[in-house]
Amino acid sequence: MKNNIKLKVCGIRSPANMMEVASAGPSYMGFIFFEHSPRDVSRTIAQLPLEQLPEHIKRVAVMVNKPLDKAREIVKKFKFDLVQLHGNESPEYCKSIRKEAGVIKAFAVSDHLPDELEEYFDCCDYYLFDTKSDMAGGSGKSFDHSILARYTLEKKYFLGGGIGPDFKTDDESLYPGLCALDINSRFETSPGEKDVSLIKNFMQNLELNKTSSINLSGCFPDKEGFYGKFGGAYIPEMLYPNIDELRKNYIEVLESEQFKYDFKNLLKDYVGRPTALYYAGNLSEKTGARVYVKREDLCHTGAHKLNNVVGQALFAKQLKKKKIIAETGAGQHGVATATVCALLGIPCTVFMGSKDILRQQPNVLRMKMLGAELVPVESGSKTLKDATNEAIRHWINHPEETYYLIGSTIGPHPYPDLVARLQSVISEEIKKQLLEKEGREDPDYVFACAGGGSNAAGAFFHFIGNGKTRLIGVEAGGEGADSGKTAATIYKGTPGIIHGCKTLLLQTSDGQVTEAHSVSAGLDYPGIGPMHAYLHNSKLAEYIPVNDKEALDAAMSFSRAEGIIPALESAHAIAALDKFTFSPDDLVVLCLSGRGDKDLQTYEKHYS
Amino acid sequence: MNPLQELLSVKKHKLLSVFFTAGYPEAGSAFSIIKSAENAGIDFLEVGMPYSDPLADGPVIQQSSTRAIENGMTIELLLKQLNEIKGKTRIPLLLMGYLNPVMQYGTDRFIRDASGAGVSAVILPDLPVSEYLRDFQPLYKKHGISPVFLVTPNTSIERIRSIDNASDAFIYVVSSAATTGKQKSFGQAQKEYFQRLRSMKLKNPLIGGFGIHNNQTLSQAWENLNGAICGSAFLKKLAEYPDTDKAIKQLLDDLGPDSGNNN
Ligand SMILES: Cc1ncc(COP(=O)(O)O)c(C=O)c1O
Repeated sequence: MKNNIKLKVCGIRSPANMMEVASAGPSYMGFIFFEHSPRDVSRTIAQLPLEQLPEHIKRVAVMVNKPLDKAREIVKKFKFDLVQLHGNESPEYCKSIRKEAGVIKAFAVSDHLPDELEEYFDCCDYYLFDTKSDMAGGSGKSFDHSILARYTLEKKYFLGGGIGPDFKTDDESLYPGLCALDINSRFETSPGEKDVSLIKNFMQNLELNKTSSINLSGCFPDKEGFYGKFGGAYIPEMLYPNIDELRKNYIEVLESEQFKYDFKNLLKDYVGRPTALYYAGNLSEKTGARVYVKREDLCHTGAHKLNNVVGQALFAKQLKKKKIIAETGAGQHGVATATVCALLGIPCTVFMGSKDILRQQPNVLRMKMLGAELVPVESGSKTLKDATNEAIRHWINHPEETYYLIGSTIGPHPYPDLVARLQSVISEEIKKQLLEKEGREDPDYVFACAGGGSNAAGAFFHFIGNGKTRLIGVEAGGEGADSGKTAATIYKGTPGIIHGCKTLLLQTSDGQVTEAHSVSAGLDYPGIGPMHAYLHNSKLAEYIPVNDKEALDAAMSFSRAEGIIPALESAHAIAALDKFTFSPDDLVVLCLSGRGDKDLQTYEKHYS
Repeated sequence: MNPLQELLSVKKHKLLSVFFTAGYPEAGSAFSIIKSAENAGIDFLEVGMPYSDPLADGPVIQQSSTRAIENGMTIELLLKQLNEIKGKTRIPLLLMGYLNPVMQYGTDRFIRDASGAGVSAVILPDLPVSEYLRDFQPLYKKHGISPVFLVTPNTSIERIRSIDNASDAFIYVVSSAATTGKQKSFGQAQKEYFQRLRSMKLKNPLIGGFGIHNNQTLSQAWENLNGAICGSAFLKKLAEYPDTDKAIKQLLDDLGPDSGNNN
């Protein structure tokens, strides 16, 4: 449909089915609080993991003449976005509950539009037209839609009542004011259990929900930025307006046609996407499985970091920011930021620990060549952690004009989600490429290194929770995960707060963040993105440490075997292959996050 | 009422508070700093709990925190020290720090023990107001601890109102959108911002902080708000003068003749 009609799936009842429906990506999901309905959730709502629904799916509580205080309690307790009222609720009632949530006022329609529509005009957000029935919808019967052609009010409406898979309209002008279709009983295998393939087909046929194409669950935080108990925004008040501005705008911008168009074009022509998915024959032989390498090292500037930077820089432009600041560890994110800022003509300042400046000289020189101002950070550990602190402090001191372009899936909400969405192009491509090469979309394994977790988030994104792919995040073990000199955050960390989000981190028992240790600057970070802390806790992904020496050795043998010099970060993921036993037809994807030019100094020191 | 609330109920103008980091310059400095401040007529004290990654703080407080951690300061030790001096001093105490160390100590246990050590209020700048209201308000109330929240020139009116509602001691008015110790002087912008806040007729008194270091900044805060807190400038004096009486006297000299013994 041309007018971008949305879809509401109503009458959801079981946790598993809910997540499955979420994966189809409707705009609204309805939960019925009405004891007489076979889809009633009044007593079971607490068992539904509502907090795991992605933010762009709005939750609707469907009710019939519920006492106002009960209705309010439900909305508050389960954080519903909207209520849908099917009874004789008065305009005053609607006005009152509208202080807590949006209101959809439903009207049963037979052969003419209800007379009282105007009475409710000022106290609801949408109307819903449904067939007369005694069970709050779900009757499966439809009314004569021809009366809708005469609808002239300004308020948009949902259309429900017996909409089935065969519903179609060749002429949208027959439905002026229609904003969403509400489906229920005719897309079910049994009451409350939705048939997700029917729903998906329906959406495709009618081209519904054009705007929300990302459709997996487990990879999105809730409204307040929580992945389970991790995430959130723990920031001092000085940062609140900055973060609030991002939070309020990011989804809308990312889902806008203009952004999608610009992002796609820059990824294609400037970054060089799609990056190759390369069948690594020699490595496969050595590993004993079919190993494909996702060549993020072929991105312009030599790592996946550019995907995120291009997206965020476009976002910053949209917000009319005049300056961009960034932190960097290995210098890859700094180089990527300096690069895009040069391209878009935005002044750029990069904060980098003085210890990292020494070990990543080539990237320091590149940033200078690209015209970025480099600020050496002397505080604390003089690495990524403190570079991030200084970038945030600079942002506090220059709040209005400056965009803080964070380099990984870390920091306060919405950064982890923002970066994960932008990097999700990695797994989106892997799916397509595998289908072409192997005739199936989902590999048996995905391996990716994890510092803050952005390349891993991108490589996992579209496989999370699919029940087929083992997702392996590889952390830097440093001199040994138990040696005390490690960056294996998931292995060794405990829950706490770092850089504005709740996650696992390396810290003392009294809550001081400790220094991470890794030979690889890009993994030398004492925290991990909250999404990974969550994936680890919920066993949707596995994380293992690989130490310095194993990574350095893997870098050498991979270079000799495949003729590709990997970044030291990526070498950790390569080394992890040795820790698994595969069967010969296992399909393994290795995310090669970057190339190794920046690490030649370190490699030379190790091998000589 | 806790001692801070009592103070604020009787004294409504020209309040002066100083901030120092516990464990700085020495592990055991707190007692003599508190004593000196009380003798010099300071109205209440903010005691900083050091944290390795103080995001809202400039170099002076950062360095004091690093040093304090090296000196072995922890929440545990600080509360023990406060318990030891309980009864030997009457000056109201606030604890200020970041959420992570408090979380590790255990928030429930922290509020209980702080209250037991005679603390009146707690400032955790990175604790979201919404989370406080949802998870911690009953706990604070039970132990008579007042939460203190920050507002800045960029905080929206609605947010200021909700912060006012959540508070029962005072509102911490951050002088400008900046880290601590950054502000050299206050200008027209601060004046207007302070006056804007005052005209909102909030139920809690307003105490200004960040950048109070001389007579100009102090007078401006005093003129428009109920009081002022001096942090980085005091830490600098502590670094310079090992004698804490002297350090506080030097600070009061800088702040201007009418700032000492003002009760
Ligand atoms: C090549 C490369 N891979 C991986 C990383 C680690 O970051 P993340 O975990 O966000 O992918 C970096 C960081 O600088 C990097 O440069």
